Amino acid sequence: MTQKPIIDFRNCTIFQKDHLVLKDVSFTVDPGEFVYLIGRVGSGKTSLIKTINAQLPLHEGFARVGEFTLRTIKQREIPVLRRTLGIVFQDFQLLSDRTVHANLEFVLRATGWKDRKKTADRIREVLDMVDLGLKGYKMPHQLSGGEQQRVVIARALLNNPQIILADEPTGNLDPETSSGILGILKEISSNGQAVIIATHNYNLLKQHQARTMRCENGRLTEMNRNEEIDFETIIN
Amino acid sequence: MKQQTGLNKNRQHTTKQRLRSSYVTSLISITLVLFVVGLLGLVIVYAKKISEFVRESINISLILNENAKDVDVRLLQKTLDATTYVKSTRFVSKEEAATQLEDELGEDFLSVLGYNPLSSSIDIYLHSAYTQQDSMKKIEKELKSNPLVKEVYYRKSLLEVINRNLQHISMIIFIFSILLLAVALALINNTIRIAIYARRFLIRTMQLIGASRSFIRKPFVLRGIFMGLVGGILSVGMLTGLLYYVYREFNDLYLIKDPQLLGLLMVVIILFGILLNWISTYLAVNRYLSLDEDQLY
Repeated sequence: MTQKPIIDFRNCTIFQKDHLVLKDVSFTVDPGEFVYLIGRVGSGKTSLIKTINAQLPLHEGFARVGEFTLRTIKQREIPVLRRTLGIVFQDFQLLSDRTVHANLEFVLRATGWKDRKKTADRIREVLDMVDLGLKGYKMPHQLSGGEQQRVVIARALLNNPQIILADEPTGNLDPETSSGILGILKEISSNGQAVIIATHNYNLLKQHQARTMRCENGRLTEMNRNEEIDFETIIN
Repeated sequence: MKQQTGLNKNRQHTTKQRLRSSYVTSLISITLVLFVVGLLGLVIVYAKKISEFVRESINISLILNENAKDVDVRLLQKTLDATTYVKSTRFVSKEEAATQLEDELGEDFLSVLGYNPLSSSIDIYLHSAYTQQDSMKKIEKELKSNPLVKEVYYRKSLLEVINRNLQHISMIIFIFSILLLAVALALINNTIRIAIYARRFLIRTMQLIGASRSFIRKPFVLRGIFMGLVGGILSVGMLTGLLYYVYREFNDLYLIKDPQLLGLLMVVIILFGILLNWISTYLAVNRYLSLDEDQLY
């Protein structure tokens, strides 16, 4: 029996307001799959990520994310959709006025968790996953860039999402820290959660080869595993 | 890395300071606006009281027939006292009327004339609501129909002038109130929007992690209500201080003091502060909930 894809886009057109970004977008992502989304700056990677999490509305084509059909999703269903996704931003966006633990607790409360013990247990679990089990009491500014990004990944994992969307997750990090972050994301994927990483960091692609989709000239294309990636065109 | 952490710390400290000072600034603005609204309320309350005071000072004199019996006059006065439009009455005997006239003229006119030509009368003071010209005419007609009454007298021209002036003053106060209220709404709304603007990225983060709109709104709205309450209480405190000073300096104002109405005004100011902050915060947060990311920058 074939597995039902967790993301299914068919003939979609991605718009950023009135500006057409990507045309005729069709792809699927299966549970546990690890996918790179590459392309030049402004090629549509972030717009596609934003369409998946319903930050941008979809006007043309069919798209399903988990149980939600994006064309017909209602405003009140968007928070529920986002709870099935874990989002990792480039610029951490942790709440700077509270500790790591409180940051994670806030997300759980915002998404309907009420039981204090279960909440504390879950926070401990996700912090252990990203190797920050002892740093829950720290304020975000007391952590290094890599540690902050790991907290963001922990935050994305809280609700046990089916999909992790990471938009330039290593954008502000040094190569060594980036490699650590990639390792965590790979582990998440091997646990059955789909991971989509939008990136220009070719070192990541070299370190861990995986399915790669490319945004170029208004189209999304699947790259052949053996295809040589011209990193110069991606970066510039 | 240490240097970066230091920078982050400074930024964090600065952000906290900015947020705190933006809340303090908002609170000061809200308090001052509510204080001005309260001042306007006081003007309205006092204008109403002064208007009532002036209107209720106008009296109608019922000049009584010479042959009216004492017992009938007393019965008439009692009947008048029980009438809805009458606030109070005062019987003026012909002797008292003569003394009053003597005081006014400064001459002993009784010794000149050799007799007292004045009649006894009843001075009627009306409730302010019945001092409009049409009401006065009806009352005059009704009083004239009484056989004990020889003549009904009141200063029509004075009444006209008072009514006209009070109408003008009321209209000016009304227009001024509307303008000031609009300014108050705009100022408080703007203050709150600026305060929420500073936290727009927090709103965005909350949205992206899957928080519902009501969950995001709740802490902002609660803070808005709290600021309205504190601003209201502070402005009421300032108004009370001002009133205390004014009453001490202008003793005559005690005549028109109405503690119940003033208490009500204070409660209204606090409720107005809470309600205005509540609605403004609700609308401002909703606005940021509906903006897309590019519009946040």
